[in-house]
Amino acid sequence: MSLLYYRQKQAWASLRKKPGFVGTVITTMGITLGALLCVLTLAYVLIAKPLPYPDQERLYRVDSEFIDANKEGVGKAFTYPSLMHLYQKQAIFDESALLYFGEDVLTSSPAQPTMKTAFITPEWFNLLGVDMALGRKFEDSEALNTNNPVAILSYRTWQEEFAGDADILSQKVSFSGTSFSIIGVLSEDFIEPQIFTTGLNSQVFMPWDFNEAPENLRKSWSNINDTQLFIGKLNDKHSLSQAEQILTPLMNDVWQENVAGMDFFKGWSLTSKVTSLQSVILGDNRDTVYMLLAGVIGLVLIACANIANLFMSRTAEQQRQLAIHAAIGASKKQLFKGLFAESGLLMALSIIIALVIALGGFEIMQHFLAQRLPRVDELSLNGFTLLCALAITLVLALFFAKLSANMINYRALNSTLQSSGKGSGIQVSHKVRQLLIISQVAIVTALVFVNISLFKDAVDTIEKPIGFETNNITTLVLAGATTTPPSREERKVIMQELKTKLSQLPQVEAISQSGSPLSGFGIWAQIVVSTNERLVVETKPVDDNYFNLINQPLIEGRIFTDTEISDEVDVMLVNDVYARHLAGDESPIGMQITFGSPDDPAATIIGVVKGMTIPGRSEMPMRAYPAAHLGGTRLMLKLKPGQTLSRQQAAEIIAGVTSQYSLFELSSLDDRRDNLLFTQYTTAITSAILALLTFFLAAIGLYGILSYGTQMRRFEIGTRLAIGAKRKTLIAMIIKDNSLALVTGIITGMILLVLLYLGFPEELETYLQVQLIPVFALTLSLIATISWFACYWPLRQLINRPAIHSLRGSD
Amino acid sequence: MTSTLENNKEIKIQMRGIAKVFETEELETHALKNIDLTIYAGDYVSISGPSGCGKSTLLSILGLLDMPSGGEYTIEGVNVTDLSLDQAAEIRNAKIGFIFQSFNLIDELSVFDNVALPLRYSSEKMSEQAITERVTECLQAVDMTHRTGHKPNQLSGGQQQRIAIARALVAKPAILLVDEPTGNLDSKSGDQVMDTLEQLNKSGTTICMVTHDPRYANMANIQLKLLDGSILTTPAPGANIKEAV
Repeated sequence: MSLLYYRQKQAWASLRKKPGFVGTVITTMGITLGALLCVLTLAYVLIAKPLPYPDQERLYRVDSEFIDANKEGVGKAFTYPSLMHLYQKQAIFDESALLYFGEDVLTSSPAQPTMKTAFITPEWFNLLGVDMALGRKFEDSEALNTNNPVAILSYRTWQEEFAGDADILSQKVSFSGTSFSIIGVLSEDFIEPQIFTTGLNSQVFMPWDFNEAPENLRKSWSNINDTQLFIGKLNDKHSLSQAEQILTPLMNDVWQENVAGMDFFKGWSLTSKVTSLQSVILGDNRDTVYMLLAGVIGLVLIACANIANLFMSRTAEQQRQLAIHAAIGASKKQLFKGLFAESGLLMALSIIIALVIALGGFEIMQHFLAQRLPRVDELSLNGFTLLCALAITLVLALFFAKLSANMINYRALNSTLQSSGKGSGIQVSHKVRQLLIISQVAIVTALVFVNISLFKDAVDTIEKPIGFETNNITTLVLAGATTTPPSREERKVIMQELKTKLSQLPQVEAISQSGSPLSGFGIWAQIVVSTNERLVVETKPVDDNYFNLINQPLIEGRIFTDTEISDEVDVMLVNDVYARHLAGDESPIGMQITFGSPDDPAATIIGVVKGMTIPGRSEMPMRAYPAAHLGGTRLMLKLKPGQTLSRQQAAEIIAGVTSQYSLFELSSLDDRRDNLLFTQYTTAITSAILALLTFFLAAIGLYGILSYGTQMRRFEIGTRLAIGAKRKTLIAMIIKDNSLALVTGIITGMILLVLLYLGFPEELETYLQVQLIPVFALTLSLIATISWFACYWPLRQLINRPAIHSLRGSD
Repeated sequence: MTSTLENNKEIKIQMRGIAKVFETEELETHALKNIDLTIYAGDYVSISGPSGCGKSTLLSILGLLDMPSGGEYTIEGVNVTDLSLDQAAEIRNAKIGFIFQSFNLIDELSVFDNVALPLRYSSEKMSEQAITERVTECLQAVDMTHRTGHKPNQLSGGQQQRIAIARALVAKPAILLVDEPTGNLDSKSGDQVMDTLEQLNKSGTTICMVTHDPRYANMANIQLKLLDGSILTTPAPGANIKEAV
């Protein structure tokens, strides 16, 4: 039997006698290290792990950014012809691909589900090294302008929508009246790069030619669309900046030529931005990862301080046993190895629990955060996680063993035996205990303050009035089911009949032929007729029922009449932000606005509504609401309280009215609102859990340290009781004795917060408000409460019993 | 303050039928059985007996460090049988001085502050000057005025015990309760401490001492022996027996 095995066996035998100690150590360290491993793995996957594509370091996305006459960025998106020009004329990418993301109803399926679609050029497969589970990739036969109606399914779509049918390659899928032959299924292992929206996994891939861009937009140099993208593999002759310098004139020159006649774009320009695919996918999540890491490291530090205290107390308990080992010849190094065997065993058990918790954390993130955090599908117990686990186990085991070993005065161990265990022997020094208290309180002050601040900010955003009602409102969106869409006049007839049918439903209270207030605002170029000012404003055409249905208050003027809507009169409403921009303190009623070109008919402002915010966003931009025509295919239904409308019922009504449309979307505004507030909800829940966990761990830790300190003073307290000290005097004494450490800890915590602010001034500026003063006061009172509690609770068992209990054993 | 006089001597301590039972789930131990005890002003009482006979338990109850399970107990005529913890603390502070085997001085406090501690816990607040005068007086009584600024761990065992005696005296208690005062001392220091106690008794201090050492027990004018929780009386040569079983 090797010495190593013997030591482990002895360590286990010794630990088995202390199940409380073992349980506390492995639970505390298991939970906190589990959280650490989970977040470390997330950080590795997001920030350091190479993308799973060949030559991933050479993969880039190109963006086109419009700069207005004031040299301010207007937005990042391509016009369709610009994108085609880039694809066809660029020479710095060895290979490049076009992507267009959309959603459409799978009309060939009886359930008619809405599918996420991607329209791509064949190079996409080579760029990303795509392997196929079945069939083939897109080839030259699916290149630009081939119009070959074929489709490739993602592996999950094949499994879930087609039940993994082995005969899938002989089947077809139909979207918007076109039937696509299925020619392949992507490999199960393929991970689609989420370069358009985090969490978007395309279900059906079709050739670029069939993308959803309407014919007029395909030729328009003035309409931009952010769902169409360009990616490519940069050749090794050009750097990133060189690539941007080459691409900017390539795109700007041709765009300038084509908008030369448009006054609106006078002074505008277009620049190219080239961003690595890794950065595109990471997005602005780097700070989120760092914040998570900071929070979880704080938790681990608190846990380590707690466990360090437990280890020191245990060493103090073990002094007699250690003395016996020393007496029979154990060297100092051998005593350390014995302690290391114990700490190593405990940390190994902790890390096993931590790995299980990390696995659970991955599942939770993949289930709940896939729409918010990129690459969570790649989270797994990989080599990095296991290496971290091993390193953490070794470092912590060494740390705790060293800490315990440092308490042992090897030369003095013999006196422990001579005094039969009486006397001071090994003790956690007053200085060490004070340092532990200071570190605990400092970390908990900083962490609890940060978490309460985040919680408050998230809750404030959730509870912030958005300026309109969402209760009992459902949006209904139609999708074309034919290759040739109906004309506007045909649509008017269809929509009128559909509205009539829907309004006859007993659960429907009111209908508006408008899109959801939570989306659907387009960026429209506008010119103020009186001043010739050119603006870009969030705009959405709405009908006469829109404002009443969502209860968005009218401040001035009036809303549309039904005649104005049916006669398509050029009138519009604006929000109060736009009104102030147009007329200052005066009324904008009667002012005229044209859309895009001065030759277009001008719309007259007839009313001003109160501004609304999109949940989760703090800004309230200028918004315009021109009168909608009656051919729009988006409806809002106000349902009676407690009533619902099922997707099946809506689809049947649509089918009864027309075969040219199918149901694309039916969702409640409340659900959409909650969805938009998902980040705030997760922030609120996460920060509340972290605050509670921090608080809980700190309370346990402080209790442990102060309890140990009080136990060390048991005879002293007994003596004081014997000579007449009253209970309140002793409580005041213990609090006073620990106050310096507690106050020092709080001040250190405040210094940590200041350093945090100095490190991230821009990120934290928005959080620094006067309202944080009560949050800080709350944090301090919570810290004070647990600190004073930790002072009193261990003392109570000494002072609430006859003094002899404290003095027993003192002689 | 009410005092009881009997045979023209003031009764400091009176116990009637005091019992102490320690109970666990499985066992009931009668540590003291029906103890009757009266101690008069100026008495020097020693309590001795074999290990486990109840000496320390009796001393704890005498010092209000523990509560009896039955019987009645008065100090200077005040019934102290059923006091709350804080009331007991007040009586301990005012009427009882403790001297422990292991001195029980507080390491962080100087000699002066250790001795002054009972005065600071007193409900009758004293000025700093009065405290200084009283502490100096007590330190003079034990011949330790030259060590006022020292910490206990800078003193020998004998010196520490003399400081403990000064602390016990400082609040002018009705009685000094002494628990094995020489147990942690060498014989020379032990003798010095016992001399100090004898001097104090001669100057009028009432003392009740638990000891193993027959030599020191013999120094008391009343020697009580305990056996199995009951008092056996052994009169010291030439002493008046004030209490019998």
